Order: sequence, then C-alpha cells, then structure tokens
Amino acid sequence: MLLKPNPALGVPIYLQLMEQVKHAIETGALRPGEQLPGIRPLAEELVINPNTVAKAYRELEHEGVIELRHGAGAFVSASANGRKTPDKLRAAQTVVQNAVEQLRARGLTEEEIRRLFEAELAGLTRAGGRND
Amino acid sequence: MTESWVIETAGLRKDYGPVAALRGLDLQVPQGSIYGFLGRNGAGKTTAIKILLGMTHPTAGRASIFGLNAAAGEESVEIRRRTAFVSEDKDLIDGMTVESMIRFTAGFYPGWRSDLEQRYLRRFELPTFQKVKALSRGTRTKLALFLALCRSAKLLILDEPTSGLDPAVTEEVLQALVAHVAKEETTVFFSSHQIAEVDQIADRVAIIDAGRAVVAGALEDLREKYSRVQVVFDGEPPKTAFEQPGVVRVRRSGRTLSVLSSAGSDGVIEQARALNPVAVDVVPVTLKEIFLETVAEED
Amino acid sequence: MLWYKSWLETRWQFIAGLIVLACAAAEVVLLWPKINELIPMASNIQANGEIGRRIREGAELARDYRGYVWSQAFRQGVTHMATLFAVLLGTGGLLSHRSGGLFLLSLPVPRRRFVLTRAAAGLGELLILAFIPSVGILLFSPAVGKSYGVADAVAHGTCLFAAAAVFFSSALLATSIFGDFWRPLLTVLCLAIILGLLESALAGQWTWGIFHIMSGEAYFRHRELPWLGLLASAAISIAMLFGATIEIERLDF
Repeated sequence: MLLKPNPALGVPIYLQLMEQVKHAIETGALRPGEQLPGIRPLAEELVINPNTVAKAYRELEHEGVIELRHGAGAFVSASANGRKTPDKLRAAQTVVQNAVEQLRARGLTEEEIRRLFEAELAGLTRAGGRND
Repeated sequence: MTESWVIETAGLRKDYGPVAALRGLDLQVPQGSIYGFLGRNGAGKTTAIKILLGMTHPTAGRASIFGLNAAAGEESVEIRRRTAFVSEDKDLIDGMTVESMIRFTAGFYPGWRSDLEQRYLRRFELPTFQKVKALSRGTRTKLALFLALCRSAKLLILDEPTSGLDPAVTEEVLQALVAHVAKEETTVFFSSHQIAEVDQIADRVAIIDAGRAVVAGALEDLREKYSRVQVVFDGEPPKTAFEQPGVVRVRRSGRTLSVLSSAGSDGVIEQARALNPVAVDVVPVTLKEIFLETVAEED
Repeated sequence: MLWYKSWLETRWQFIAGLIVLACAAAEVVLLWPKINELIPMASNIQANGEIGRRIREGAELARDYRGYVWSQAFRQGVTHMATLFAVLLGTGGLLSHRSGGLFLLSLPVPRRRFVLTRAAAGLGELLILAFIPSVGILLFSPAVGKSYGVADAVAHGTCLFAAAAVFFSSALLATSIFGDFWRPLLTVLCLAIILGLLESALAGQWTWGIFHIMSGEAYFRHRELPWLGLLASAAISIAMLFGATIEIERLDF
C-alpha cells in the first residue's frame, strides 16, 4: 500500500512517508481506528532506515493524524480527516485550476508555472522546518 | 555529557611514504546507527576502515571501537570479536566450499547464531556445496554478508557492499541489512559510491575528501541545513557576494548566481533580496548535490 | 580451524613430496643390484680431474650397501629434492590476497597466530617428508636382500629435517616479505643453488655448510651426529620464523 520513497527528490524521506500516510487516509485506504504497519516491518518492506519511519510516525502523532499506543502500535486517530477530504480535495482542485488559468492568462508557460509552485513549496517546507 | 560512540576517530592520519591517505579524520558513530561513509575513489575510505580493523597501522591520531584502541594488538583482537567485516572484494577463501567457509568462520565465534544461520541460508539461497571461487559476484556478496550477519556482531563494517551488483540483489542486500539492524540492535558502518542507497537506508553520513571529513551529521539535519538559492539578476551578477561562513559554493552562469549554503537559506535569501534581483528561488538539494559540491575542485 | 587452512595451503606440495621421495627411496634400493655389478669396472676408469675423482670416490663408497645408500641418496638426490619441497611448503598462502587475506585479518585472531600455525603445520609435514627417504630405504632394502640400520635411518632423517627446516623457514620469511607465491620461491631456490655451488666448490677446505648437515656426512663417516650444525640450523630456523612473525605484525595490508 505504501510506496517506496524516492531519495533523489530532495524531499526528506520521512516527509514523503508522512504525505503518503495522509494521502492514504484522505483516499480512504486507511480508515480512522485502523492500525498502521509496525515500524520495523515497514522499514524492512520499504528498505529504509527504521529511525526514519519512527520519525515520520512521531511527527504524524504530533500533528494528531495518528496515535501511538504503547505496546500495541500505530493507529489512525479517530479525528483524522476521513469523510471530509473528498470534498476538501475537490475544493482544493478548483483553487489550483483558477490559479493556473490566471497565470496562463498572464502569459506564463506550463514549465514556469510548475517551477513557481515547486519553489514555493520548497520554501514553505524550509520555513516550516526546524530552526536552529 | 560524554556519549560513548561505537566508532570514534580523532585526528586520524595515515601516510604511505609521501602520499597522505588520511589527513586528520574525525568521526563519531553512535550506537544503532546506519552510518554511510561517502567519498570519491582514493579519498581514504578503505584506508580508514582498514585502520579501524587493525589491518593497517595509523601514522598518527586515535581510532577506537567500543572504547578499545584499534591500533593496540590485544584490543584490536577484542574489537574483531564483536565486529564483522565485508571487504570491497568480498575476500573469502576461494578454495573452500560454501559449507566449509561457514563452518570455518563459525569456529572463531562462540556466539555464532545458528538460528540466524538457518534463516539467512534460506533467504539468500546459498549453494552449500559449491566452491567459493565458482560463485557469481552477487552470490559471493551474499555469502560474505551471511558470514558477517551470523556472528552476532555488535558492529558491521562494510566496504562498498553493493558494488557491482544488479538492482535486484542490491535491494536484497539492503533489505537484509535494514531487517538485521531493526531486530538485532547492531550498528552498521558502510562506505559507498551509491548515493541513492546511502540516502535510502542511512540515518547519518560522513563525506570524506582528501583524507578529511568535510561533511558529517544526521542525514535529516543535512537535508535541512543544506539549501540552494538561485538568484537571477537583470544584468551582470555582482562580483563579490555571499562570502560568508556557511556558503559552500557560488556558481555563476550568465545572469544567475547559484548559492549552495550549509547553514540554512534564510541568511542567503536576505542577502540576495538586498541585491535587487529579478528572482530568488529556493531549490531542494539532494545528497548527491551535497556530495558533488563539497568534494569538487575549487574553481 | 587455522590448521585446516594451513593444510589446504600445503597439501599438494606435501602429497607430491610424499610420492616423489618415496619413489626416490625405492629407486635407490632397486638400483643396488645393477650398481653392485658395475662397481668392479668403475675402478678401472681412467678419467682425470674432478669428475674422475668423483667417480672413483663413488665407486669406493659403493663397495658396501651403507656407503652406496649414502652416496646415492643422501649426498645428492634426496637432499636436492628435500630442499625443493621444503621451500614449496613454505611459500604461498599465509595472508596473501588470494587466500582471502582481508577476511582472515578480520577474524579475532592475533596475526602471529597465522604465522605460527602455518610454521607448525609446515614443519610437521616436513618432518614426515624428511623421514620418508630413510624409512623408505629401511623398508625396501630387504627386497634386494640387504638391510639398512634403524640408527642410520633415524640419524639421516634428523639431519635432513633440521637442515631442510632452514629452507622452509627462509621460504616462510620470504613469503611474509613478498606476499606472493613466485618471488619467495625463486629467491630461496636461487639462494639454495648458490649455497650448494659454494659448498661443493669449497668442499676441500670446508667441512661444514647446510648441505653438509643435510646429507649427514659427519654421521656417515664418524657415526657422530653433527650436534653443533643441528643446533645452528635449529637456531637459524627459529630466528627466521621469528622474523616472519615480526614482519607480518608490522605490515600494512
């Protein structure tokens, strides 16, 4: 169910994993209350460092997306966005459509638009990351 | 606060006559880490590893494993009781069969794990009655790894474990390592050219260049600290800019300055904006770029 | 387990030595009847110079069986072969790359143990090889109606072993320095040949030398073991093995 993260993307692996878990919850592949794979088995399956999986799970717990129950494992929290998200996704899609149309109207090409989005997101990641 | 490192080197030097293979290498590897050791050919990776295992005598400096001095005879033997090594060429005794190799090796380790032996024999599908010299490269690597994993060693030192292997066997090897580390509380120290695999399974890395560690730390920290800022100007980019600590490299290409920083992007962005550029972009940096930029020749 | 590895490194040399030396012993014995017939004729040979002297000396010695055995076997053939096999037993393997050097060095074994085990195994094999000729002759002699003394067999075996051990140790020392198979082999063989030529050239003036010991000449002529020579050989062998150990411990692999 979870795909192997790609280290060459420049995005930290634990973030990719977090995104995948959130996406799985949004699409209903993982439902509230369901158990996630254990840290070690998941690390083995995806062939990544167990600490990376542990960090992803810790961050997800911090954000309230999952719960870590001592001795039992990781579970999707009941309050995680379940049913809301198809609508949320659809609304988000409309926002993106409008933005892209506007930028096209200003004469930007697809490549330029894509670059702007990526840079913005990378900048956001950095701003939202840890500051020493 | 004193942390006990599994591997620690301080000012490690090795001269081969006039050639300095190591010029003061400082490393700290914590327990339970999967530590990737990157460097170009001839940067000193194998020399450092050989010193750790007592195969080569250092010219100066200190190297210790489990707190034991790697250059002292008796202590080095004790280190090797708890450490498993796979050399770059997967050195084994060519004339023996697989089965003999296993029994031969097991004889040196009272803590040999027969349960692991059973598990990995099945997993790696090793042909027990073939001679070692007749094995394919992939099978030979798996055998060498097998012998390393069954020893119940607290530390695995691997010199380019996946070199020359096809992608399927590579993944098999990496998976076995990850699984082993997860279950057995082992520390893994491996040198590699394959940046992708270091990215994948390591949690800490060091990049060695010309006999010194130029980058060292947790992989996540490095990805956060290293960033590239692309600054585009209307005309010629200023000649002197971004000369501050933490800037690894500034490349200019036409009207663009590309700044690689090892201390986050905020300082660079501030400076960049003050120069009135056309555009300032922050671009993600991969481990490969960090590697290439920190070991590249000076312009 | 290291004994097994030492065996793997030396078994072909050992087995070849067994066969060759046993055949040499058999050949010496089986030639006796023929030689015995020819002896009376030899004293009539009018050859001059060194060769003539040797032929007459050989004929003189061959008058009795014991002298024949000594001049035919221990003075030449067997000593040359024993030297060759002693050197072969001492070259190759150890911690060379071909024998899995880095793997062995990663084992929890002090380096000197590799040298000492290999030395002990090699010397054990050499001991056996050194007694094959004399014991072989002892056992085969009844086949031609002669008998060879046990004391003689033991004495010659001992001399052969002690002197050959020097070449074995030299080969092991050379292997520890050069690491490969051919250079130690050729170096020590050249040394042996030079020593041999020197000894025979100075045969008149000197009565000592490694091959002199190996042939057990002192025992043959005077029934006295060359104790000084044996001790010196032992001391040199031990010194060389010590040198090999030091070299192996010093090396960077």
